[in-house]
Amino acid sequence: MMKKLFSLVLAAMLLMGVCAAIAEGDLEYVQGKGTLVVGITDFAPMDYLQDGEWIGFDADMAKAFAASLGVKAEFVEIDWDNKLLELANKSIDCIWNGMTLRPEITDATACSKPYANNAQVIVVPKAVADQYQTAEAAAKLQFAVEAGSAGQDQAEAYGFSYTPVNAQTDAVMEVKAGSSDAAIIDALMAAAMVGEGTSYEDLTYTIGLNSEEYGVAFRAGSELAEKLNEFFAASWKDGTMQACAETYGVSAAIIPQE
Amino acid sequence: MMLEVKDIRKSFGKTEILKGIDFEMDQGEVLSIIGSSGSGKTTLLRCLNFLETPDAGRIAVNGETLFDGERPESAGAGELRRKRLHFGLVFQNFNLFPQYTALENVTLANLLLAKQQPDYKQNRRAITERIVAEAHELLRQMGLSDRESNYPHQLSGGQCQRVAIARALALKPDILCFDEPTSALDPELTGEVLRVIRGLAEQHMTMIIVTHEMAFARDVSSRVIFMDNGLVCEQGTPDQIFGHPREERTRQFLLPFIQR
Amino acid sequence: MTAEQWSIVFNALNIGFVQTLRLFFATLIGAIPLGLLIMFGRRSRFRPLSWLVQGLTWIIRGSPLMIQLLIIYYGPGLAFDWHPWGGGEAGRFSAAAAAFIINYAFYFAEIYRGGIASIPQGQEEAGLVLGMTRTQIFFRVKLLQMVKAIVPPMSNEVITLVKDTSLSRIIALQEVIWAGQKFLKGSNGIAANILPLLCTAVYYLVFNGLLTLLLGRLEKRLSYFK
Repeated sequence: MMKKLFSLVLAAMLLMGVCAAIAEGDLEYVQGKGTLVVGITDFAPMDYLQDGEWIGFDADMAKAFAASLGVKAEFVEIDWDNKLLELANKSIDCIWNGMTLRPEITDATACSKPYANNAQVIVVPKAVADQYQTAEAAAKLQFAVEAGSAGQDQAEAYGFSYTPVNAQTDAVMEVKAGSSDAAIIDALMAAAMVGEGTSYEDLTYTIGLNSEEYGVAFRAGSELAEKLNEFFAASWKDGTMQACAETYGVSAAIIPQE
Repeated sequence: MMLEVKDIRKSFGKTEILKGIDFEMDQGEVLSIIGSSGSGKTTLLRCLNFLETPDAGRIAVNGETLFDGERPESAGAGELRRKRLHFGLVFQNFNLFPQYTALENVTLANLLLAKQQPDYKQNRRAITERIVAEAHELLRQMGLSDRESNYPHQLSGGQCQRVAIARALALKPDILCFDEPTSALDPELTGEVLRVIRGLAEQHMTMIIVTHEMAFARDVSSRVIFMDNGLVCEQGTPDQIFGHPREERTRQFLLPFIQR
Repeated sequence: MTAEQWSIVFNALNIGFVQTLRLFFATLIGAIPLGLLIMFGRRSRFRPLSWLVQGLTWIIRGSPLMIQLLIIYYGPGLAFDWHPWGGGEAGRFSAAAAAFIINYAFYFAEIYRGGIASIPQGQEEAGLVLGMTRTQIFFRVKLLQMVKAIVPPMSNEVITLVKDTSLSRIIALQEVIWAGQKFLKGSNGIAANILPLLCTAVYYLVFNGLLTLLLGRLEKRLSYFK
């Protein structure tokens, strides 16, 4: 009931937002106030806190982009569920947080070109990993996925039986606890979370079910998306983007920009 | 003539409680008002104290008109307060302020009034001391010297009512009104309160007493009014009213008391 | 978790709890006097004002605080392209404080009203015949009696408020539950760990314990009269 009411109010607000948030002059707006407010979550290695400062591949690129506009980047942690609302409300100016370019995002916002590849991968206990190297073999497993995530999309596409949980990390915990056989999560996250030297040494990930791409979202109609595309191209050309990717160990995922 | 009350009328909704009350009082008189419940005694007292505004009539004290139904000039709150101070009122159920001691109950209103005096700032200390000293004296007269620092809930009903009388006297009213001052008391406690009122009568305090204590009214009053159905039915000396009532209604009302 | 990780966790929880406390105190400081104003409005002899307050009371008490938070924070921007709060932590805090103050003020106003109603009419009348002004009667006679009458129901509300502050997560105010939940989602190399979130309960328990003691003492201080 609560959740339904909540979505109803959100829908009404978004509708109002569509009328209000005609983002013409977004560049002027951002330069006028002197800050680019970047909506993020704590998500290593893209955006995370170190000694009180937000760093990561996305955070560093966002700082550089803001500097190229002559403004300061300000990072604001948001509730990921409310990211579109935050954008329409202008409490943030962009969503830049390893965000998969899914249709509901690209339809509602002005997105940059994709800048990194991602995939949804299957996480299983290391001991049984070699039995589940194909989608057919994995089909008999009971999965845990984050509700409404790209992982759930894949589970449905493949016709897997799954339990939706609150977060990708919860999905991994389900596997660790044995309440689910496997989880479907982001490859980048899986790389950071499971395997040698992580909190889940006895888990690993096997096949990728799809490939998807990360992008940055601005308000619908904002000219900042195009500005960012130009900035990405320039950063690729002078090699700063590659260097940044190197720093955070995401080189393999970066998409060449031009 | 200290008090003149002319043709006071008061209705609540469609019910007419006071249908035109007239009486007069001289300095030092003690007037008892008797009558059955609902006869309008309490409403009359409340009108005199401006807790109710009469619909019509005239009230004058010492020749000054305090209320005139013909010219109901919208008296400002300050003006109304000044007029009120001609009267004191002792309630049936005391209405002491529970968070103040007996002494504080007596001094509170005076201390607040003193702040309006032009010389309050310079003489604050002397004024305060005078008010407190007067309160000590009043409570002593009430026989409550040893109870000054008690809170109302620590006092008996009779003691509470005596504090309430001291509180009313502290403002030096021209006329002190009592609204059934012993009705809320246990029978064994009424004596101490009646004794105090009798003492005041002996000091020639001008008083109006609404009461059901017929023996007391007969004993202490200089004049008695019998009210019936919103009108003064009969008035006279206690001997006239209690001994030789002229009106049938008065006789009817007094019958049970006389027989006892 | 290692000792070093625990220190990271408690550091984050402490910072979150400071935010919780700030919201708690801001709400009390704002809502206690605002509630008084609302109560006067409700008791006003000017009928339209009284009706307006009654209508607002129905809306504020009848709808979820969570929705009120959303409307106050996102409403102006979405409906009018007006951005009074800004996107940063300070703006989110201000919006949360505004929503909490308004919400709690209406609850407090109803409690005050009950407190005032519990004072016998005779108190006002006694003050009037003693030549006191209505203002003097309110502050010198009724207020303390009202305070005494409302301490127990207010204690209830105050303790509920401590826990209600966590609703401000909906507009991404990073109070203590948010801080604990971070380690469930993954932060500082600690992920999928529910212990930090469970630890937040200890913060609430300790603080509410202190409040209960304090309010109990206040109740006792006021027991010198009846």
